[in-house]
Amino acid sequence: MSYVVLIPVIMLLFLFRYTYEVSPVFLLVEEAVIKKMIEFIGWEEGDGIFNPGGSISNMYAMNLARYKFCPEIKEKGLSGLPRLVLFASEECHYSMKKAASFLGIGTENVYFIKTDERGKMIPEELEKQGSAPFLVCATAGTTVLGAFDPLDKIADICEKHGLWLHVDASWGGSALISRKHRRLLHGIHRADSVAWNPHKMLLAGIQCCALLVKDNSGLLKKCYSAEAAYLFQQDKFYDVSYDTGDKSIQCSRRPDAFKFWLMWKALGTTGLEERVNRALALARYPPHSLEYWRKLKKREGFQLLLEPEYANVCFWYIPPSLRKMEDGPEFWQKLHQVAPIIKERMMKKGSMMLGYQPHRGKVNFFRQVVISPQVSREDMDFLLDEIELLAKDL
Amino acid sequence: MAEPSGAGDSIPLECPGLDTAAGEEFLQEVFQILLEEGVRKSTDVTQKVCDWKEPQELRDLLDLELRSDGEGRERLLQRCRDVLRFSVRTGHPRFFNQLFSGLDHHALAGRFLTETLNTSPYTYEVAPVLVLMEEQVLTKLRELVGWSSGDGIFAPGGSMSNMLAMNVARFQRFPESRNRGNWDLPRLGLFASQESHYSILKGAALLGIGTDNVHLVRTDERGKMIPEELEKEIQRVKAEGSEPLFVCATSGTTVLGAFDPLDAIADVCARHGLWLHVDAAWGGSALLSPRLRHLLAGIHRADSVTWNPHKLLMVGLQCSAFLLRDSSGLLQRCHGVGASYLFQRDKFYDVSLDTGDKSPQCGRRADGLKLWILWKAVGTRGLAQRVERAFGATRYLLEQVKRREGFQLVIEPEFINLCFWFIPPSLRGQENSPEFWDKLGKVAPAIKEKMIRRGSMMVGYQPQGSHVNFFRQIITNPAVTRQDLDFFLDEIQELGWDL
Repeated sequence: MSYVVLIPVIMLLFLFRYTYEVSPVFLLVEEAVIKKMIEFIGWEEGDGIFNPGGSISNMYAMNLARYKFCPEIKEKGLSGLPRLVLFASEECHYSMKKAASFLGIGTENVYFIKTDERGKMIPEELEKQGSAPFLVCATAGTTVLGAFDPLDKIADICEKHGLWLHVDASWGGSALISRKHRRLLHGIHRADSVAWNPHKMLLAGIQCCALLVKDNSGLLKKCYSAEAAYLFQQDKFYDVSYDTGDKSIQCSRRPDAFKFWLMWKALGTTGLEERVNRALALARYPPHSLEYWRKLKKREGFQLLLEPEYANVCFWYIPPSLRKMEDGPEFWQKLHQVAPIIKERMMKKGSMMLGYQPHRGKVNFFRQVVISPQVSREDMDFLLDEIELLAKDL
Repeated sequence: MAEPSGAGDSIPLECPGLDTAAGEEFLQEVFQILLEEGVRKSTDVTQKVCDWKEPQELRDLLDLELRSDGEGRERLLQRCRDVLRFSVRTGHPRFFNQLFSGLDHHALAGRFLTETLNTSPYTYEVAPVLVLMEEQVLTKLRELVGWSSGDGIFAPGGSMSNMLAMNVARFQRFPESRNRGNWDLPRLGLFASQESHYSILKGAALLGIGTDNVHLVRTDERGKMIPEELEKEIQRVKAEGSEPLFVCATSGTTVLGAFDPLDAIADVCARHGLWLHVDAAWGGSALLSPRLRHLLAGIHRADSVTWNPHKLLMVGLQCSAFLLRDSSGLLQRCHGVGASYLFQRDKFYDVSLDTGDKSPQCGRRADGLKLWILWKAVGTRGLAQRVERAFGATRYLLEQVKRREGFQLVIEPEFINLCFWFIPPSLRGQENSPEFWDKLGKVAPAIKEKMIRRGSMMVGYQPQGSHVNFFRQIITNPAVTRQDLDFFLDEIQELGWDL
């Protein structure tokens, strides 16, 4: 069942989800979806809102944590206050920097905690930091490597020091739906806030991003409300607690939860779980897809960066001409130029697309992301064959 | 949750895990439902505007619970029908509730296309068509503002566009604040009219500037910012030790539809070296009409503009353009971080096409496509006609309101917002009695409740300043006819008669 089916329904209704009066169905649907997502995180209760992007979810969480830390900032601003800092892993999404800048905190005040060779935040490094942050951001499923920070250990530290723990699970959150793979996010219930984007692994359709908050005391509303009289009249004839739009920084908002709800109705949790399991089966290193990895490893020229934990497969392709070369700066410099050429060729041919990037001192490598249930083993084999073909003369 | 079941070990990976044939059949059926129950019914005047249900009743009807197993096709199709049935028909000719209404078929086609493509216009590589279209549309909008160059980006709503303006203004004055934060900055001063949109306050809070530092400038009896008052406020704020930074003038305020005098305000800003942002989210579309563009005279002097085609131009939620006069790359310097997994410098095409880094967002919806298609379908002239028709319809309604007993204007409308009270017979002649206003304030909510329960139409009300609850009538839908407008007044009269 394709997500595409469900989106036109929303399009037609052209509705803004701020009040029950204008958008009754979508508000109730959003409420039900948030409740369900909260269940999967492991909270008894909580709050949440759908946003135009994981970057915005992270921004919300940052502002919320700041508000909790010092509610006066909402009125007084930051000028003249002692500097606040926040911590995030060095593999975190760049939206943490953009958010810090936007919120007036400053990109310099985002301290990046070292990660290990698997791209996961090192909790001991977190503990070592001198300053007290108002927020710690752990990432469940980093963008490039697909790494999962050790949430339990990080939560231990946050609890000890009374810090707000935000988990950016924009990418990895969907693993919660899979009984087999949810352990990647073990400890997530200890977070204060979670960003989770069903439009990634669950194919809900761009955009579909939720910010979930453990607090159920109306913190989200207190932090964000402006109580505009032309929308949030208190003298309506229905229970105005349904007018949830004031929890948002937006005025009009798209009903992004709906397509997710309809898809969930169509597939059931089991169907969604199958999707996640399938994607990971294709991409990861568990025994049954060892065949694929044997191919990847055995095939001359393909070199994995690290064994994937999730759906990101990161590897170099070393063309024939470089295979006999000695390891050294010249080798890496030449290898750096390979991926861009192969990318250009695949795009001009139109046969496939995958991304490449340099990362943390490593030269350009490919990042294949496996999501779609339409992908089969044949497609995975094709990828390897095609790269070899396109790079024959390099 | 149960222990890992090991179910993943036996997944067949040889063939696709999706039944595309069944999916396509489902789509065909849904398209039929969309056309009949969605497009046709939602614009049909003989249908109800809304089918009011109490929240708990609606919850039960919708069967919201998400379960383990999926449902069959018929059930799902019924769900689609239910959603359409129980939702408000904002395309209905008698939906006057918000600053948008109506359904444009070409724009809708554009929206379907955008959804089907399912991509994010951060790079040319991933969304070539959409990136180019956005650039074209932004250029055209800037031309209408009066700029032959400039910058901009689409944002998820006018609130966000206003916040982008605030952030860029702050960055321009204090470039180091991007990295260092606001800690060492002086207290800043932001100015907007009393009638301005609340996103200015939300933005001040979010950006770490503080809502206390938003100074609301008095407006005149027509709801327009008084430039002399702006000057006074700036002086006052300076004397208190704050540093004025940003003035937001509004072209088309939310409730009254007032247009701030941009030239005079631009003079004040120039005098003090302040950033002038014009929130033309609502009124920007008047720029398309040669007859009405004078309302925004002076807008070319702004540093930035917000303009929401999803309001008057019926392009569909969301479509908000943030336009910037600067063409030195200020937007990129303000927001860009150059993430290496998206914005590589060694691509094989001109990477200046990768405009996504200008936004604080990463993934974004491609909101430019539907506007581009609409524009192609009707031309600038067609868009202008739409604006003028809405304006003409408002003039007609105004005449009628003035003629009818019991209808009292709040102010003479400048644009498309028609604000009035309905005074039921029981209160007529009692304007001088002390409880008059109190009682009158209860009339609009009561009439609103009745109209919603009846499903005959929807129009918004709100208190404003010292005014008790009044109706705010907005016409944007070109499908609205004189009969609909007559009906509107008749209905208010009927529902409010015995209050």
